[in-house]
Order: sequence, then structure tokens, then C-alpha cells
Amino acid sequence: MIIIRNELITGIKQAIPVILAYIPLGLAFGVLAHEAGLSVAEAALMSAMVFTGAGQYIAIGIIAAGGSMLTIIMANLLVNLRYFLFSASMVPHLKVLPTGIASALMLGLTDETYAVAAVHFKEKPATASYLAGLNISSYLSWVISSLVGASLGNIITNTEQLGLNFALAAMYTILLILVISEKKHLMVALVSVIVCLAVAYLFPATLSNLSNIIVASLVAATLGVIIKR
Amino acid sequence: MRPEMLWIIVGMALVTAIPRFLPVAILSRFEFPEIFREWLSYIAPAVLAALVAVSVLAPNGTIVMSPDNLYIWAFIPTLVVAIYTRSPFYTLVTGIGVMALMYNFYTPHI
Repeated sequence: MIIIRNELITGIKQAIPVILAYIPLGLAFGVLAHEAGLSVAEAALMSAMVFTGAGQYIAIGIIAAGGSMLTIIMANLLVNLRYFLFSASMVPHLKVLPTGIASALMLGLTDETYAVAAVHFKEKPATASYLAGLNISSYLSWVISSLVGASLGNIITNTEQLGLNFALAAMYTILLILVISEKKHLMVALVSVIVCLAVAYLFPATLSNLSNIIVASLVAATLGVIIKR
Repeated sequence: MRPEMLWIIVGMALVTAIPRFLPVAILSRFEFPEIFREWLSYIAPAVLAALVAVSVLAPNGTIVMSPDNLYIWAFIPTLVVAIYTRSPFYTLVTGIGVMALMYNFYTPHI
């Protein structure tokens, strides 16, 4: 019992930076959702059922631009392809857990919880209580801050003035630094940046659903494997 | 709650949940070859690097590589703080703080 509790607490502690990022991101999402015409209940339900930063921001953008339901779902499908890769890369670590529990906990997988857990699992074995602590507390902070943001939508009119629009970029930056632990990772990261920008430059439409990121990741990871040999 | 919005949310929920749990639900039964595990280990740096590039260089959906792009300026101190502190908290505070200062005191923004 003590081990379970300690693991849970470790998970919650490691979620603190994620929560600190989700508060401004969730608030900003709520405000933008309000601007795009969503009710407080709609914005909160979206965060509670979907729990994904990039996908929800994209959805709000498409709704604000008057796009269709199909466009929103297709864009989310593409942008979420990275979760296939994340989830698959968790498999070797999660083998020690019952498959049902591991799969259920993966519903809380995001860029941020993934990066934190991936760094943790390099040193420590995976436990269900650790993942529950990390994922559930991150999830709650996202839902609550979205709800607050949507409720305050009338008051906060310009999120840019508060610098909140940079929160996502800053979060990705620190997560990148944390997952780079050897020279090879740095090389893969640089290749990914170059491919991602080249694809976006040649096919600007890929930027609207972030499919350039999927292409870049597949190419960079593959080159990482090939170049060593 | 508008019915159309409910359908959007349900659709998004499905296409987000499936890629999250399916690989763990199915692949846990298999032992991955070493080369595939190595490939998977490169996914996190690759995806995050690409996300950084897009969120800094194309914050509004088109690539803007010019001094008018405030995101590039905010990125520099953010990266330095990230490397030296390895702290998500300080990195976010720096990024958000610098962005807010520039937005309010430096005009030619996109």
C-alpha cells in the first residue's frame, strides 16, 4: 500500500509542471472557445471528452472559420496520429502492467504526460499508480482551467496581451530538452525540424492539420536508425 | 448544448482515444525487435522538435521567418532557460513573460 501511495504521489508531483502549463493553455482554450461561439458547457465537455491541446485548438480555429464537422474530425485524426507513435513507444515499459489497466491509463496520454513519463521510465519501472497520478491530475487541471477560461471569456478579451499564446511553444521547448539525452537524439531532432519545415514550405496545406509533423517524425526516426549502421 | 457540437465532440473524442490506447492494447502481447525499439526511442525527440519548429516559426498557420515574428524572439530566452534550468516551470514563466512584455512594448508583431 505504501509503495502504491508513494508512486501515486510521485506521479502527482511530476504532474506539477504539466499542470502549470495546462492552466494557461486551458484558460486560453476556454477564452478562444468562447470567442468562437461555444457555450461554457460545450467548451468544458470538449476538454473533458477529448483532452488534447493541439486538436482542440485546431477545432476551435475551424469552428471560428465556419468549417465543417468532417474537416474538424479529419484534422484531429491526422494531428493525433502522433499518439499512435507515443503509445507504441510506451509498450516496452508498460508490459509489466495488466493490458486492460495500461490501455485505460493511456487515455490520459498527451504530448506533455508522455514526455514526463518517458523521462521517468528511463530510470524507474512503470506502475499503474504513477501513471494514474500523473495523467489524472493533468487531466483535471486541463478540464477545470478550460471551464474557468470559458466562464471568464467575457472578461479576458486578449490572451495575446498576457503572453499566453506562447505557453504551448514554451512547453514543447522544455519537453524537447528533457527527452534529448544523447547526441543521436539531437541529430534526430534537427533532421525532424528540417524535414518538417521543408514539407510545410512545399505543401503549405500540411500546416493546417500538422501532417508535416508526422512525415518529419517518421523520416527523422528512420534516419536515426539507418545512420548508426 | 447544440446537437451538432455534441457530434463534433464525440467524433473528436473517438479519433483521439483510439490512437492513445490501441497500440498498448494490441502490441503488448508482442516482443519488439531491438531495431524497432530503437526507432521508437527517436519518436519523442522527433515529434517534439517538429512541434517546437511549427509553434515558433508558424504560430498562425503560415511560416514567418522574419524579425516581425515575436515567437522567434521569445523562443531564444525560453530555450536558454530550458537548457540551463531543465525546469518546465521556469521555462514557461520565461516564455510567457517575455511574450507578454514584447506584445505590450514592441509594436511590429504578426
